[in-house]
Amino acid sequence: MFGLIGHSTSFEDAKRKASMLGFDHIADGDLDVWCTAPPQLVENVEVKSATGISIEGSYIDSCFVPEMLSRFKTARRKVLNAMELAQKKGINITALGGFTSIIFENFNLLQHKQIRNTSLEWERFTTGNTHTAWVICKQLEINAPRIGIDLKKATVAVIGATGDIGSAVCRWLINKTGISELLMVARQQEPLALLQKELDGGTITSLDEALPQADIVVWVASMPKTIEIDTENLKKPCLMIDGGYPKNLDEKFQGENIYVLKGGIVEFFNDIGWSMMELAEMRNPQREMFACFAEAMILEFEKCHTNFSWGRNNISLEKMEFIGAASLKHGFSAIGLDKQPKVLTV
Amino acid sequence: MHNELKITDMQTLESNKKTIEESINPISLDLPDFTTDSYKDAYSRINAIVIEGEQEAHDNYISIATLIPNELEELTKLARMEMKHKKGFTACGRNLGVVADMDFAKKFFSKLHGNFQVALEKGNLTTCLLIQAILIEAFAISAYNVYIRVADPFAKKITEGVVKDEYLHLNYGQEWLKENLSTCKEELMEANKVNLPLIKKMLDEVADDASVLAMDREELMEEFMIAYQDTLMEIGLDNREIARMAMAAIV
Ligand SMILES: NC(=O)C1=CN([C@@H]2O[C@H](COP(=O)(O)OP(=O)(O)OC[C@H]3O[C@@H](n4cnc5c(N)ncnc54)[C@H](OP(=O)(O)O)[C@@H]3O)[C@@H](O)[C@H]2O)C=CC1
Ligand SMILES: [Fe+2]
Ligand SMILES: [Fe+2]
Repeated sequence: MFGLIGHSTSFEDAKRKASMLGFDHIADGDLDVWCTAPPQLVENVEVKSATGISIEGSYIDSCFVPEMLSRFKTARRKVLNAMELAQKKGINITALGGFTSIIFENFNLLQHKQIRNTSLEWERFTTGNTHTAWVICKQLEINAPRIGIDLKKATVAVIGATGDIGSAVCRWLINKTGISELLMVARQQEPLALLQKELDGGTITSLDEALPQADIVVWVASMPKTIEIDTENLKKPCLMIDGGYPKNLDEKFQGENIYVLKGGIVEFFNDIGWSMMELAEMRNPQREMFACFAEAMILEFEKCHTNFSWGRNNISLEKMEFIGAASLKHGFSAIGLDKQPKVLTV
Repeated sequence: MHNELKITDMQTLESNKKTIEESINPISLDLPDFTTDSYKDAYSRINAIVIEGEQEAHDNYISIATLIPNELEELTKLARMEMKHKKGFTACGRNLGVVADMDFAKKFFSKLHGNFQVALEKGNLTTCLLIQAILIEAFAISAYNVYIRVADPFAKKITEGVVKDEYLHLNYGQEWLKENLSTCKEELMEANKVNLPLIKKMLDEVADDASVLAMDREELMEEFMIAYQDTLMEIGLDNREIARMAMAAIV
């Protein structure tokens, strides 16, 4: 069994979904009611790999919404309760989707192993970040040439470079792609310096300086709110890979020759009979999903029952290659720009 | 088109850094001072509720046995556990030098107590089981689970033992209702509609005292909903039915 722990992108969205699913007791409730809501096992599903293997899984909504981020105890409880439910249901490997893995790390949940009468077994969980990082790198390699960007000459800016996903992406870009220049952006300088040392490459810079220089921008900062950006000075063409959650770039970036790609999203080769990705507003909800969710499926297909992606800064090139190969083998592919890339105009 | 980047407007995860650091230190893990007058004052009512609750639970299981005589042995076993719990919690109060306010506790339970007695008289076994083995047990489980995190070492140990038993009791009610679901569903829903709001009210009533003991109202309610939802799921109700039942708590 694989599991997926998710949440809605906003409180409004959560209420809408709850009402669609018939969870009337929370659909009409205010944020306080949601803060007391238990995790919900929304759906069970069977998935068949391109190799023919079948696996079963469950989708659990943690009832967390980004509006709870300022309530540290509430956010912590939402994640731990969802994890407890997954373990109690006997699920072997569960992906911590959306903000849940970030809450787990940043709020230091490792010290909360005992949840009621359940002792959480970390090896049953994965952040899914290895697969997400690999997918973002593939999206970059495949789509940049399609809009006329030559990787060998390209400058790539990674926003959120010191994050778990960001650092893995930087590692891959430096070692595997031969890009011309890597710009690394984050707020804290110390981790940036450490990363630069580890990579023996890359330039530390600010967001404002990075954007006008970049042919490709990878957004993997953990920013819960939409940001607005001065698009006048961007390079043309420019490829923007929005790897954040929630996806909050595409409507903001307007301008000729600016291409925005939803980052960290994969497509399965076959329809999956589920409804949860409809709720996540995927373009093709029967096939598309977050790469971190797909990681749990891949690990289950591979009978690799271990916390494959765990902690921070542990994503090696070998792990990315392993999960990437397994991803392709079982029928996943990174989503790309539309067949005829839509050029957003002012 | 010119949009300014508004970093200052951005709510970021790091705004929580300070709280995180506080929570890492286990000593400052929100443990209250057990020796203050305000703590003892609040404890005199919470402790009384718990003692009274255990007594009621004992009496209720003995009463339920009159409706299902072939379960007498099992139910007597449960009732005995409740008396043991009562003794344990009485010791917790004594240990802190607190005199339990039993009059307050009797009043606190009076409505639910009344509803149980009426159901018993009418022989409404489903209602009796819902009130005692589901609602009261889930209420106890939620309170004990939250209390364990902030209790004094003596009470913590006792409560940890107790909560394990309460899960067994919840399970007892659950199994009976599961087996008889086809015939008891309607009564279960009806009884829930009447009695769940009482539980919610009781929870609201203790919230202030509980917060003096560092027990968070939100956490109490969440723990209750988890135990309650879990057990309804095990009984065999679907998501929508459970949602409809839980509605009664949102008033
Ligand atoms: N598509 C998918 O399947 C998935 C997407 N994600 C998303 O990817 C993103 C990154 O995840 P993850 O790597 O785990 O997160 P981390 O918390 O590990 O890293 C966040 C990074 O962003 C930087 N950052 C945060 N705020 C800002 C800011 N205002 N300006 C510049 N940099 C900033 C941080 O550095 P500093 O604090 O120094 O600024 C850090 O480098 C998240 O949005 C997450 O939700 C995650 C999993 C799966
Ligand atoms: Fe008891
Ligand atoms: Fe009990």
